[in-house]
Amino acid sequence: MSERDTSRPVPFARAVRAMFDLTLEGMVWSRRSVLMAFLLGLPIVFAIVYRTVLAAHLPPRVTPFDFYGGIVVFYYLRFVVPLAALFYATALVADEVDGKTLTYLLTRPVRRESILAGKFAAYVATTLSLSLPAVVVTFFVLMTARGRAGLGGAVPDLLRDLGVLALALLAYGALFTLMGVLLKRPVIPGLLFLFIWEFMANLPGYLPRFTLTAYLRSLIRHRPAEEGISEIFGQVLPTALCLEVLGGAVLVCLAAAAWIFSTREYVMDQ
Amino acid sequence: MSATLEFVRASRWYGQVIALNDVTTAIGPGVTGLLGPNGAGKSTFLKLAAGQLAPSQGEVKMLGKPAWGSPEIFHRVGLCPEADAFWEQLTGRQFLVGLLRLTGYDDAECRQRAENALHQVALLDAKDRKIGGYSKGMRQRVKLAQALAHEPEVLLLDEPVSGMDPVNRRRVVELVRRLGREGKTVVVSSHILHEVEAMTRRVLLIHNGRILAEGDVREIRDLMDEHPHTVALRARDTRALARAVVVLPHVISLTFGAEGEWLTVQTAKPDELYGSLAEAAEQAGVTEMYSPDENLESVFRYLVAG
Repeated sequence: MSERDTSRPVPFARAVRAMFDLTLEGMVWSRRSVLMAFLLGLPIVFAIVYRTVLAAHLPPRVTPFDFYGGIVVFYYLRFVVPLAALFYATALVADEVDGKTLTYLLTRPVRRESILAGKFAAYVATTLSLSLPAVVVTFFVLMTARGRAGLGGAVPDLLRDLGVLALALLAYGALFTLMGVLLKRPVIPGLLFLFIWEFMANLPGYLPRFTLTAYLRSLIRHRPAEEGISEIFGQVLPTALCLEVLGGAVLVCLAAAAWIFSTREYVMDQ
Repeated sequence: MSATLEFVRASRWYGQVIALNDVTTAIGPGVTGLLGPNGAGKSTFLKLAAGQLAPSQGEVKMLGKPAWGSPEIFHRVGLCPEADAFWEQLTGRQFLVGLLRLTGYDDAECRQRAENALHQVALLDAKDRKIGGYSKGMRQRVKLAQALAHEPEVLLLDEPVSGMDPVNRRRVVELVRRLGREGKTVVVSSHILHEVEAMTRRVLLIHNGRILAEGDVREIRDLMDEHPHTVALRARDTRALARAVVVLPHVISLTFGAEGEWLTVQTAKPDELYGSLAEAAEQAGVTEMYSPDENLESVFRYLVAG
């Protein structure tokens, strides 16, 4: 039997890893993941339909890259990635409270911050593994629809998109993790945030700077605004500012969530 | 007796409701029964002891440290909560290994300890089945196993035999007694006197959030016998069970449940009933047994009135 220091909690990294493994098992094989895999993978179907039916009928100026850009901005960044973050991250603690299983976790010799960190890491791993492969497949199905010319030049854009989507999962995930530990019923406020508050990103003036969408969208190089599809995306914020704000939001939200989770009582009704 | 668990003028309220009121007590090694009807404050007592709640007033110390906000105590404390709650998709072994890893053991030791704990509660054969498919009694036992697996010095058991069949109930009672003999501090809550009495003679009587009495269980034993005792049994063959039970001399009445799965037995001599029930229970396939708390409630009413 191993010698452990029982005068202190289990080391942070070790506790995070243990929590990560325990959470991942339940998260990957959940009904939530089946639904999100469907929604995140749906653009692959769009791409196949485009390739087999639409490509021949659309005017040449509407390129596969336009179609891909629209999917990334409108479907992934504005809709399904925030939705995935909402459904997973708000549930990180709420599911354990509703299922009354939190007691098992809170009676282990680990700091509560490590429980939250392990769960957040499992959320990131699950959502990344569901979303990024779907984006890559969509990209290649679309970009090879009219031959392989220009494919190589678009790959850096793909890599950038993957980075931005990962950042979106981190930023929205951190915010919704905070809402999950702060509110008893976080999903409705989360939906209101996504579809009402975040709509401010489309307004002129300074207001878009109070949304995550404005910063994330500014990082997408081939956003439709550049193609003149829409004039509503008036502002392109500097990349450095976007990274600072989004990184800061992740750190502040996670720190606040960890502090609340580590000081709050959770009363499990019998 | 050196105190492992100390409550010093500890109170806990939820809004306007006082769940535990100015409790001062010290619990040391051995088995201590926490006895009281539902809503008496037993679970709040255990949640305070297990650091799940902070006292609104006063102090609760476990192993010399404040129970609230000292996660390191859980190297040495195990809690078996009352709620029937699990990650249903995990097998019994995965459940234990996952929690043991959170206790800081390496993978090989986690597996070894999980097997030992499952063996102690007679669940080794079902270790690779999903908990979602376990019976009520098996779920109770795997919950107990997670509390035992890291061999804690202190065990807090909230209604640990609730819903278990008589055979496993006896097995768990014997396990608790053994742990007490080994010098561990075991606090067992129950609303059934006979259950607690089978495990220990040292009890804390709790009622309306207050410690009503501490001491030897035999002192309230005589009071208990004056009140008819009710036991509800769920069996595969309730008619066979009724046939076996109705001939026992101390049985006052039998009532069949609405769906025919339950049989409620009223007796004046609960000890004799529990003693003679095991054989009948095995033949009729009893799967669950519990005692509603009206029996204890009547004793508490008597004590409070007195």
